[in-house]
Amino acid sequence: MSRKNARIMVVALVLLAVAAPAVYAEEGAEGKGGDFLMKFGLAIGAGLGMGLAAFGGGLGQGRTAASALEGIARNPGASDKMFVPMIIGLALIESLVLYTFIIAIFLQNKI
Amino acid sequence: MEHPFTWYSVLPFAHRIPIHVFHSCIALLAVLLVGWRIKRSVARASDPLVPEPRFSLRNVFEIVVQALQAQLHAIIGHGSERYLPFIGGLFVFIFFCNILGVIPGFVPSTDNLNTNLAMSISVFLLYNYFGFKEHGAGYLKQFAGPVLWLAPLMFVIELLSHLFRPMSLSIRLFGNMFGDHMVLSIFSGLVPLFVPIIFMVLGIVVSLIQAFVFSALSSVYIALAVSHEH
Repeated sequence: MSRKNARIMVVALVLLAVAAPAVYAEEGAEGKGGDFLMKFGLAIGAGLGMGLAAFGGGLGQGRTAASALEGIARNPGASDKMFVPMIIGLALIESLVLYTFIIAIFLQNKI
Repeated sequence: MEHPFTWYSVLPFAHRIPIHVFHSCIALLAVLLVGWRIKRSVARASDPLVPEPRFSLRNVFEIVVQALQAQLHAIIGHGSERYLPFIGGLFVFIFFCNILGVIPGFVPSTDNLNTNLAMSISVFLLYNYFGFKEHGAGYLKQFAGPVLWLAPLMFVIELLSHLFRPMSLSIRLFGNMFGDHMVLSIFSGLVPLFVPIIFMVLGIVVSLIQAFVFSALSSVYIALAVSHEH
């Protein structure tokens, strides 16, 4: 992604973040619209949060697996010693994704 | 996500206890039964050091215990045999709990936070106990950090990180088993034939890895608590 695109995306995200509460406040007064918007926000939050968490966790786990495989390819004899720290590292990365997963489940139960 | 069918919902007397306690009891009974069978076969053998000639339960568990022992020795080092009953018991119990989720009609009891929190709080209490037993009051020095004038700050940080350990242990197991079981039940709802086999195999792998991760992390925490100054 070019730098300009990234900047445009950041601006769009900031605008969204600034504009959303205003829209929410407008509709919230009407009662039914507010309820709809709350569900909308919960669904978007759960889905988007899970996606972002999976994205970050995937990147992190990919780096771990890549360097472990590289190490094993360079020195196949060391694969036994590499396996356990790799699994522990993967589990620690994965737990961050799981926190989001649990939050997403909580949000989804509220809809 | 409601289960279409569980044995728990069929048995009339089961509802007096919560569902995760029910399934923990089943896993516990399975562990006890396996342990009793192995103990009996060891007692009956003419020479207990010689393994049985064919593929048997006792041979499988000897391999498991040996692997766990090697693992524990690699993590803790000298004097690791003392912790083998605790860590091995955790591993076997969590594995049996997890593998129940693959059997149709059962729910893994580890997909409830209460079961996991019970286990991880005992890990938390025990590794602190082992630390105090190994170092005496000097165990508190581990919380103080390397330099004295940073100690008040480090103490708070270390305390928080220690308190977060049982939470992260239990939430990791809970999230993994919950997610895995949910994937399995969603796919068996979508396509009841053949497709769930893939996710059952995945479930077996996840059960094994998560039991291993829980016991490995517990032994890492014990190793950090009992390690001497490097």
